[in-house]
Amino acid sequence: MAKSKEILFQELSDSVVEMEENKAADLAREVVEEKIDAYEAIDKGLAHGMERAGRLFEEDEYFVPELLIAADAMYAGIEVLRQHIAADSSSAPGRIVIGVVEGDTHDIGKNLVKIILEAKGFEVHDLGRDVPPSVFVAKAKEIKADIIGLSTLMTTTMAGMARVIEMLHEAGLRERIKVMIGGAPISQGFARKIGADGYSANAMAAGDLALKLLAQRRILGSLSAS
Amino acid sequence: MPEDLMTPVERAQALQEGRPADRMRCVPSISNTAARVIGVKVSELRISGATLARATIATYRRFGFDAVRVFTDLYVQPEAMGSKVRVPLDETAHLDSPAISHESDINRLTPHDPYKDGPLPALLEATRRTLEAIGQEVPVSCGVEGPFTLASLLVGADNLSRWMLKKPESAHRVIAIACEASLRLADAVIDIGAVPSLTCAMSSSTVISPRLFKDFSQPYLTKLTEHIKARGIASVTLHICGKTAPIWTGMADTGAACLSIDNMAHLDEAKKIVGGRVCLMGNIPPAEVLLQGTCADVRAAARKCIREAWDNPRGFILASGCSLATETPFANIDAMLDAAREAGWPVRPEYL
Repeated sequence: MAKSKEILFQELSDSVVEMEENKAADLAREVVEEKIDAYEAIDKGLAHGMERAGRLFEEDEYFVPELLIAADAMYAGIEVLRQHIAADSSSAPGRIVIGVVEGDTHDIGKNLVKIILEAKGFEVHDLGRDVPPSVFVAKAKEIKADIIGLSTLMTTTMAGMARVIEMLHEAGLRERIKVMIGGAPISQGFARKIGADGYSANAMAAGDLALKLLAQRRILGSLSAS
Repeated sequence: MPEDLMTPVERAQALQEGRPADRMRCVPSISNTAARVIGVKVSELRISGATLARATIATYRRFGFDAVRVFTDLYVQPEAMGSKVRVPLDETAHLDSPAISHESDINRLTPHDPYKDGPLPALLEATRRTLEAIGQEVPVSCGVEGPFTLASLLVGADNLSRWMLKKPESAHRVIAIACEASLRLADAVIDIGAVPSLTCAMSSSTVISPRLFKDFSQPYLTKLTEHIKARGIASVTLHICGKTAPIWTGMADTGAACLSIDNMAHLDEAKKIVGGRVCLMGNIPPAEVLLQGTCADVRAAARKCIREAWDNPRGFILASGCSLATETPFANIDAMLDAAREAGWPVRPEYL
């Protein structure tokens, strides 16, 4: 007898937490065979598992390697399911442009934030490493981003974050686009100093921060519309 | 402010033997800030042993701290083994791409020859010149990378993560090659007459679990430390960035005599757990305090460190939590040294 939808979702979620890439792909194929909604399987199965892995990361049960391998499993499942997603169901909560600021190539932290944001359903545009401020602004404008996420590990490149915010002002986009920043030398104090909308100390917190910034923006938007 | 009355070598010996000393030891981990002391571009330090030595010597003379480390960035060893490094004209170098990215290429990796490969001959030249100039009065060390971190910079942190969890024998192969490379560099440093100083950023509990540290980093650090000790150097310092509380015991088990503790960890806790086994150094925050703070912020942070760990059973060195940013103001480095002078030795009760 075929497994129930709920059991399949639970197994998908477990395969991510247990970092079983092949199992995640096999289970995703079962979802397709059983004609279960692919979007729901990602949301309640694979992404759910990634959220659990992220919580284990926050609790110092999982570390960077475990999170990366759990994400491998999540993406293996998504790869199978992607072409089966119904056209109307993939409404992302928001669009984010993310990258490591110019002069820095350390991207482990940025990659973790990307994984968590994708697990939360965000449409993430990853500009990679060593990204000039103007490229962040141009991309955000092009895709009508809700949020720009900036990362750096180096103290020398922190000024690039302030430059992105200045350029958003100059382009008249600062009201529309939220800016969140993170990285080892970054602090809440630094975020306040350069006028960023939020700082998070780790990848899981970055996911929650993005949702919070989006909610703030909606509330402000509805206030100014009324 | 009391003047320094002893050289760092005299001070270290006096403290070691429990004799009176003019002050506690104090070590801001200065790297490329040395370029600012002699007015050259950061990239010039990396390519010329003579320039790096000149900058290192001038920096010691300018500030008068207690240990000189010849060091520019974490990427000289990976570069010598084929990783691609970006070297901006006047900022710290950083990794562009690892030497290999596929498991099938592991057999292409060979340990570097420190006398021939990449920027290492210049680094050794700088160490030799520095030692000749000031080695009589101050301990001179040269940075040597922990095998786990070097491996991570050779194959990429994501690959090494996957192999540790899914193909542990491949991870061990890479780390063993990195370990051999660091052994060779340590030997070359000792042959000159200087001391290897170990740093292993990626071993941090901010990055990997204590279990992976125990399996994939600690055995290789132990091998390296034991080798250095067998060559007659008793005092090996080990720095690991970020959170380290879960691995302090393991770090002490490597045989290191001194642990350098990052500002993401707490000196008073380290004192309780490993203070009876190792000297502790730390941990003024390099970014928020030494780079961005005022002299008053530096003095307050130094005082906190001193309160927490000055009476550590196996010794204490007031230090920065990690390497300083290039543009750290000289006044803040002076303020750090002044805090050590002001505290006195033994530390005056009213200072605490």
